[in-house]
Amino acid sequence: MTTSPVHGLQALDSSAASPIATIPQPVTATSPLAPGAAIAATPTVTVVTERCAGCQECVVRCPTGALTMDIATWTVSADSSACVGCRQCVRTCPFTAIDVSGPLLVAERTPLPGSHMPEPLIGSAAETRLGFGSWDAALAEASRCLQCPDPTCVRGCPVHNDIPGFVAAIRERDLEEAHAVLRRTTLLPDVCSRVCDQAVQCEGACTWSLAGGTPVAIGALERFVTEHHPVPPLRPTSRDGNGLSVAVVGSGPAGIGAAWELAAAGADVTVLERDAEPGGLLGWGIPDFTLPAAVADRPWHQLVEAGVRLRCGVEVTPGDVDQLLEKHDAVVLAMGAGAAIRLPVEGGTLGSVIDATEFLTSAEIALREHTPLPALEAVRPSDGRAPRVLVVGGGNTAMDVARSARRFAAEAICVEWMSERFAPVRPDELAEARAEGVDVRFATTLVRLEGSDGRVQRARLQRTRQASARKRPTLIDGSEETVEVDLVVMAMGYRKYPDFSVSLTSRTVARVAEGLPSRSWQASGILAVDQPAFARHQPVGKLALGRETARTAAAIPARDRVWVAGDALVGPSTVVEAMAQGRRAAKALLSRLAKTPGRITKPRSVLMAVESRGGHTREKAEKIASQLRRAGHVVAVAPLAEVGLAQIAAADLLIVGTWVEGLVVAGVRPARATRRFVKELPELGETPVAAFCTYGVNPRGALSELGSSLTQRGGHLVASAAFGPRGGDKVTSFVSSLVSTLREGAIPVAVRN
Amino acid sequence: MTVVEDARASTDRPTEQLEEGTTDPIAVAVRLRPRAREGLERFVSTDPAPGLELTRIPQVGRAVKSRKFQFLLILPNQIIFWLVIFIGILGTAYPKLNFATAITWFLWFCLVFVMIVVVGRAWCAMCPFGGFAEWIQRRALWRRAQTRLGLGRKMPEKLAQYGLLMSVGTFLALTFVEEYFNIAGPGAPIATSIMVLGIVSSALVFFLVFERRTFCRYLCPLSALIGSVGAVGSVTGFRTKDRNRCIECATKDCMRGGEEGYGCPWYTWPGSADSNLLCGLCSECYKACPSGNVGLYLQKPLTSVVAPTRRRPDVAWAIVILLGLVMYQQFNATNVYAAMDGWLNRVTHFPQYPNPIDYFGTIAIVTLAAAGLAKLGSSVLLRRDLAVPVGGTSFISRTSRFRTFFLPLAYGLIPVTGADYLARQLPKFFEHVPALVPAVGHLVGAGSTRSRLYTYSILHAPGVVIAQIVVVALGTAAAMWTSWRIAGRELAPVSKNPEATRLATTGLALAVGIAMAVLYVLMHGAN
Repeated sequence: MTTSPVHGLQALDSSAASPIATIPQPVTATSPLAPGAAIAATPTVTVVTERCAGCQECVVRCPTGALTMDIATWTVSADSSACVGCRQCVRTCPFTAIDVSGPLLVAERTPLPGSHMPEPLIGSAAETRLGFGSWDAALAEASRCLQCPDPTCVRGCPVHNDIPGFVAAIRERDLEEAHAVLRRTTLLPDVCSRVCDQAVQCEGACTWSLAGGTPVAIGALERFVTEHHPVPPLRPTSRDGNGLSVAVVGSGPAGIGAAWELAAAGADVTVLERDAEPGGLLGWGIPDFTLPAAVADRPWHQLVEAGVRLRCGVEVTPGDVDQLLEKHDAVVLAMGAGAAIRLPVEGGTLGSVIDATEFLTSAEIALREHTPLPALEAVRPSDGRAPRVLVVGGGNTAMDVARSARRFAAEAICVEWMSERFAPVRPDELAEARAEGVDVRFATTLVRLEGSDGRVQRARLQRTRQASARKRPTLIDGSEETVEVDLVVMAMGYRKYPDFSVSLTSRTVARVAEGLPSRSWQASGILAVDQPAFARHQPVGKLALGRETARTAAAIPARDRVWVAGDALVGPSTVVEAMAQGRRAAKALLSRLAKTPGRITKPRSVLMAVESRGGHTREKAEKIASQLRRAGHVVAVAPLAEVGLAQIAAADLLIVGTWVEGLVVAGVRPARATRRFVKELPELGETPVAAFCTYGVNPRGALSELGSSLTQRGGHLVASAAFGPRGGDKVTSFVSSLVSTLREGAIPVAVRN
Repeated sequence: MTVVEDARASTDRPTEQLEEGTTDPIAVAVRLRPRAREGLERFVSTDPAPGLELTRIPQVGRAVKSRKFQFLLILPNQIIFWLVIFIGILGTAYPKLNFATAITWFLWFCLVFVMIVVVGRAWCAMCPFGGFAEWIQRRALWRRAQTRLGLGRKMPEKLAQYGLLMSVGTFLALTFVEEYFNIAGPGAPIATSIMVLGIVSSALVFFLVFERRTFCRYLCPLSALIGSVGAVGSVTGFRTKDRNRCIECATKDCMRGGEEGYGCPWYTWPGSADSNLLCGLCSECYKACPSGNVGLYLQKPLTSVVAPTRRRPDVAWAIVILLGLVMYQQFNATNVYAAMDGWLNRVTHFPQYPNPIDYFGTIAIVTLAAAGLAKLGSSVLLRRDLAVPVGGTSFISRTSRFRTFFLPLAYGLIPVTGADYLARQLPKFFEHVPALVPAVGHLVGAGSTRSRLYTYSILHAPGVVIAQIVVVALGTAAAMWTSWRIAGRELAPVSKNPEATRLATTGLALAVGIAMAVLYVLMHGAN
């Protein structure tokens, strides 16, 4: 074999020193290796030339350059000897005109030091998961990365880290560059590399993973970067925020994202934290053995150093928001979703039934300070046996609780009513918990607690049966059992603070894939070949789509000058998403409010959503658009059906245009599609809106109906007009009122002190 | 070969693209390889003139954009052909009075050929057979549904490499069955019903097993004929307006399916289509394209025969085989044939006309004669130092000296082949189509064999033969012109004697035309 696939990989890798030799060599008949063993095959690429349309989708994505265009026939030709079997071409080809058979030519994953059980476990706050210890190991793993031209891992990552970029930097042994690449998209590489569930994010979308192989250990490589080179401090990136004063409520990941972005733009940032320590969930929510305190505190050291004002121990209630708005130009609410969910069970009000938050907060401090845990001491049996903790829930928080309890020499039982197949727990975390002696029981639920003197003594458990992930588990009769317990911790998850939800209107962000955010997602092969619906059955695609929706939602103000980000917006999610939403909200805030005296007003982005039947409304819209463009604004005109959440979020001014339907005698209204569109708009949070309609005879109340329905959605109506068959002058006056609104700034900014 | 720059070379300066539609300022780091742009001049000869865009007419554009466009084209045919199925079974046994046989063989089959010659795959856009199966496959009549029914298999490469030849095979088989049972004669109306039902059900099976219109593209008996002969038609099919935009397009919604349209059911990309061969005129790409970069154009007749730079071997073989079939159908009406067929049936104990030996034998003789002439031409006329470009290993992509000569030669014969198919249908149309009126009347009890229109003919025997010869003469003239043009462009530069080559190919087209005309006269004599 003169042209082994190794050539393809070496061509990718500029550092010849990397341990590329670990890639399995094709075994030839004369191989000295294991006579009679299966001969390792090489991948074979078959192009169905008959169907190939020469669109080049595969050619531009092939990591090894095995595909080229044959200009004479305008079809693709393949060089199987350069193929590594990643099948990106198969996933991308729109006409199913290419096929790859054979193995994946990639080395085995470099073994991680992996989960290690602290010895002794009791009293230990040492981290259980370790990163790559040596450069050799990291380089070996980095060389498994194909450096895909269209990296699906980047789309699987909630913040779209340039994964091939930082992996390439590791190969170059340039960790400073790796940090620079990561900093473009994330502020918490050290945190995320420890707490992200990579299996359903970047690594789940890794091309090897999509091809059925073992993904590149992206999380471990990211962690390697942060462990071998300090995370760079906050540096100013722009002056967009000069003169702005912003209050950020909450210092968790979303608060860090928002505060960082605002401080980097030169804004004056005040962070209000309810607890005594900053960090929110990073601090109390994740035990030290998963996320060491030094790592969790790092962002706050850097933020405070950069001049962010941090005020701990300040609780903000919904009623305080208005007060904050008097003192600040804007408020970002990033207080998370900390309202614990409790199982309504008989005996649930007994004294020794506590929430996970309470348990974890005190456990963290006790473990750090090597003191006994008060909650456990209070229930410690008098006969000298170890206290037994029942953790209700089987998610990651429950695992944290149980594993913390084990560190105080308690026995821990986790009960999760879902079947193990469907439960939302990280597989590695579950394995670690079991290794540490936690008794994790899936398909089991708590039905009753019994006790006396305000103390729990026994728990009645019952087995459940669950047919599918969507189905609710059902109890199995006659499967009850009783266990002796001393302390019950409810770790069933959290929800948003209900009092805040009420004050921020009732906007809910459904994190479901509402269409595709960008159809090129499909092209990348992360989703299906030809059926968008397929994406909804693929965890990676589904998650990715939902995350995009949530991130877009963070950019839309909840109220005038108030943005919400992170779990406070979407309910419990992940650290990385919360951080991304915080940054997104901060950026939206900056682009709306950035206004220093003397600065030239930026062109404003205007979105015209138009419903046109005969083309008359569209024609008027184009006329308005061209006049606005002449005034220097960026105007997009789109049919209603094509207007998405992302466009609305990006617009400084939304103009809705419609024709009027109905008969003059029977009453006229805006066209039905328009009414539906307005009804389904997100809460506009004082976004300036304008409305116009075109009519043939008499619009009657149609225009005011449109205007008031926009106002009901929270829009700030700045202008409205109705254009008849002859109405040239009206367009000009309508536009001039819009232009003056835009000149004043899209949003009326409060008078600054 | 395209030189594709190694994307890794530019790792230090990533060419980042901001995703379209994403408002976040964080770019998704995508470092696609550069797209090949050289060789685009190959499309110059086939690109339609912008002024001939039909969809520029607002009414046409709106109609084609509508999701109900194809549904409304299919619906009338759907109704007619289900009527055909039921009336063929339940109606009168007189073929000429039965609606099923009358409309199918006196009107429909002629109209199909008129549409082929004028438009191209017009029938495919309104075909009720594929249309019905597609409704079920999509679980939608006109809606853009996102889920599909069926297994969604793809045609494997081993078969797909033969392209339209599978369709030619099914056409030969179906024609044999049709001749054997005298379906199109027309014979017993129930035979027509069974044939239509057979086509509908096999279409349904294939639509449920394979994805998109795999059936139409590869297996439909009429697909090869409509596609190859349709090249004389004056509609380009859906094409790109700006090719560079198509090449740069990140989503390829026309191929994968977009919000408003399905991905091309025929596996044709407007961005690289160079003939109307595989455009089913379904308008899905036009609806799907997010940048309005697709249009429907008119072209001069014969453009799709002459202009394409890529000659497909499956089309070339399809043409000569189809030529063999139509010449067989002329030959089988002569006295010589009748005698031979009778003798063969006695010898081989085959029950009746047509004997498969003379059926497939005649087709094979014509096919091999054309191929033999091409072989002769390639060895006598082509330059000895001709360097055949390197091709692939599959049937569709192989190259050879023989193919260098054969492909242009066969393409040149497209018009005369098409004309002969049309001419063959003329007698049934001119002599019997008035009977459709009593056949329709019969359904409501009004028409009968005593109706005056039942026996009325628009043209009688000598007139029909003259009409047939006129059609063949027009086809021959067109074929001579296309052969002359194609040979001049593609064969002359590689020939020892360019003029002789052009004359030889043009002469072949003339010879085929004369043979057809003679056969029509003989057929008339035999009648």
